[in-house]
Amino acid sequence: MRKLFTGLNRYAAALGLAAGIAATPAAAVELSFYYPVAVGGPITRIVDGMAADFERENPGIRIKPVYSGSYQDTIAKVLTAVKGGDAPHIAVLLSTDMYTLIDENAVVAYDDLVSTPAERQWLNSFYPGFMKNSQTGGKTWGIPFQRSTVVMYWNKELFREAGLDPERAPQTWAELVDYGQRLTRRDAAGNVTTWGVQVPSSGFPYWLFQTFTTQNGIELMNAAGTETYFDRPQVIEALQFWVDLSRRHGIHPPGVVEWGTTPKDFFERKAAIIYTTTGNLTNIRNNAGFEFGVAMLPAGAQRGTPTGGGNLHIFSRSSAAERAAALKFVQWLSAPERAAQWAIDTGYVAVSPAAWETERMKRYVADFPAPTVARDQLQYAVAELSTHDNQRVTKALNDGLQAALTGTKTPAQAMQDAQREAERILRRYR
Amino acid sequence: MSSLALAPAFDSRFDRILNTVAAWTLGLLWLLPLAYAAWTAFHPSEYSARFELFAPLTLDNFRTAWEAAPFPRYLLNTTLLVTTILAGQLLLCTLAAYAFARFSFPGRDIAFALVLVQLMIMPDVLIVENYRSIHRLGLVDTIGAIALPYMASAFGIFLLRQTFKTIPRELEDAARIEGCGVLGVLWRVYIPLARPTYLAYALVSVSHHWNNFLWPLVVTNTVDTRPLTVGLAVFAGTDQGIDWAVISAATLLSSAPLLIAFLLFQRQFVQGFLRAGIR
Repeated sequence: MRKLFTGLNRYAAALGLAAGIAATPAAAVELSFYYPVAVGGPITRIVDGMAADFERENPGIRIKPVYSGSYQDTIAKVLTAVKGGDAPHIAVLLSTDMYTLIDENAVVAYDDLVSTPAERQWLNSFYPGFMKNSQTGGKTWGIPFQRSTVVMYWNKELFREAGLDPERAPQTWAELVDYGQRLTRRDAAGNVTTWGVQVPSSGFPYWLFQTFTTQNGIELMNAAGTETYFDRPQVIEALQFWVDLSRRHGIHPPGVVEWGTTPKDFFERKAAIIYTTTGNLTNIRNNAGFEFGVAMLPAGAQRGTPTGGGNLHIFSRSSAAERAAALKFVQWLSAPERAAQWAIDTGYVAVSPAAWETERMKRYVADFPAPTVARDQLQYAVAELSTHDNQRVTKALNDGLQAALTGTKTPAQAMQDAQREAERILRRYR
Repeated sequence: MSSLALAPAFDSRFDRILNTVAAWTLGLLWLLPLAYAAWTAFHPSEYSARFELFAPLTLDNFRTAWEAAPFPRYLLNTTLLVTTILAGQLLLCTLAAYAFARFSFPGRDIAFALVLVQLMIMPDVLIVENYRSIHRLGLVDTIGAIALPYMASAFGIFLLRQTFKTIPRELEDAARIEGCGVLGVLWRVYIPLARPTYLAYALVSVSHHWNNFLWPLVVTNTVDTRPLTVGLAVFAGTDQGIDWAVISAATLLSSAPLLIAFLLFQRQFVQGFLRAGIR
């Protein structure tokens, strides 16, 4: 059998394809680092550059960055590798995959890796809003890396044309409806040419929906990730508000709104106000042919947004030396200077208060203050929906939301159905 | 009287018009996404959703796409990948199909039924198990690893077996009298007569594996082994919306070789299928 395998190896090598089988020298620790790309720009080159910088400062550790597609592709790749006995050492995954990773015994808690007081201090150096999705059961499983929140972008020109103060965004739900009615424009035939407000609902509508529920004073799940509250009255009210934007007030496009093309609709002046991620800032800054503003989301009973984006995880299938090296790399990546540079390069929110105090960050926001909106909104931020068996529970909610938005179910019916499905899935984790 | 005489002529003309219209409709439907991709790829992204005849032309999108990923390397990998897979498939499927079609051995029908069962299973279901095997073979992150799970293609075996079964035994007997052995018969009789089937199968196989995404992504880690589709995925990062212009440019870049090859060899393909029909 051995012979057959070496034969196959040789076959691959003979074709000139065996780049990956090269053996690692025993002295150096080699760490594989899987990361997704979710924003534009030469991200792979930036990550390769960071890995090279780290290697220069830390001889004896080699980082092998592996670009692994979208977040969905990355979790599929990571879980396959984990089950195939070939887990990466470090990976950037959605913070919401935390319970899934714990249930698979794939990751180690940072509390078990840190030893010195300085390292323990480091664990507490990030914004608490981002840690809500990174800790459970009293332990920290992820370190914030490329994190975001939902913010509102508005077209100042359209505000001016509608007789609104172009420097002031709507502050409350009532104002949002009022502004929306003034901003929505119709042509002679009655077809809408510009929608007042547009909240995307394809792909992951639950994330946008969490803005409304948080503003209505309720969270969608408990901190242990074993219970959901989809059928609570405040949740149904929040969904009713979203549905009414289109159905009752006529200021929002009907049906399911595509996430990927929402920025484009904004550029084309088809929507005057859009809700989308802070990760879009660089894109909108480069492509909007008009003055735009960035603001916190309008408040219902209170302000609110979920956080989003990816955390750094260290995997359990590794030697003590590898884990120590991995911890070093994660600390290096999340250090204030690097976090600031990463935020500037990508548009994500810098993850620690110290990062905002660095010279380069101060210089950056001095002539472009928009990124601070997301930072200031963090005090109202809650954890993104995340439970055990997260993919299936989230799908139950997404299906319910889209059914309500397209009008096939009433908000109450849709949320009751979603809750029943979530109950069924989560029962075995209690 | 005259109306009676005219009726058949009218019918056949009507038939022809109907055929032409249907062919044009299908052709246009097929062409539409391609035309849109070409339009957006050659214009600045402001014009992605607007049609103006004299919009400024640009090659910037191609430059952006070209610089965002090492496309020449990916192209080489994809070419290596589809040729490796096709070579493996042709060899394995031919031998297996020959055995199933022309030899009787104990357990043949059960073995063939098992091959057919494989047709019912989505390859994606087997990703974890395949990964485990590939990892044990030490082949993770090689082009061989992407190719291996697809080489024993059930579809190929089935298709070739059916084709071989339609070939008259008399031809085989004649070849044997002339002195051909078991493999000689395969080489001189079956393979030449099944050429149209091979051509059709090769077309399906190449275009399928040119487009395959998930398995190559999962089992490869470096630029040296990854195919075009994985490179393309960089542009689908949806956190910040989709830039259709760049995506279209990248799509054209990666599908161009296949499109051009098809246009060049189109005559051969069509003739291949025609011959298959005549017999």
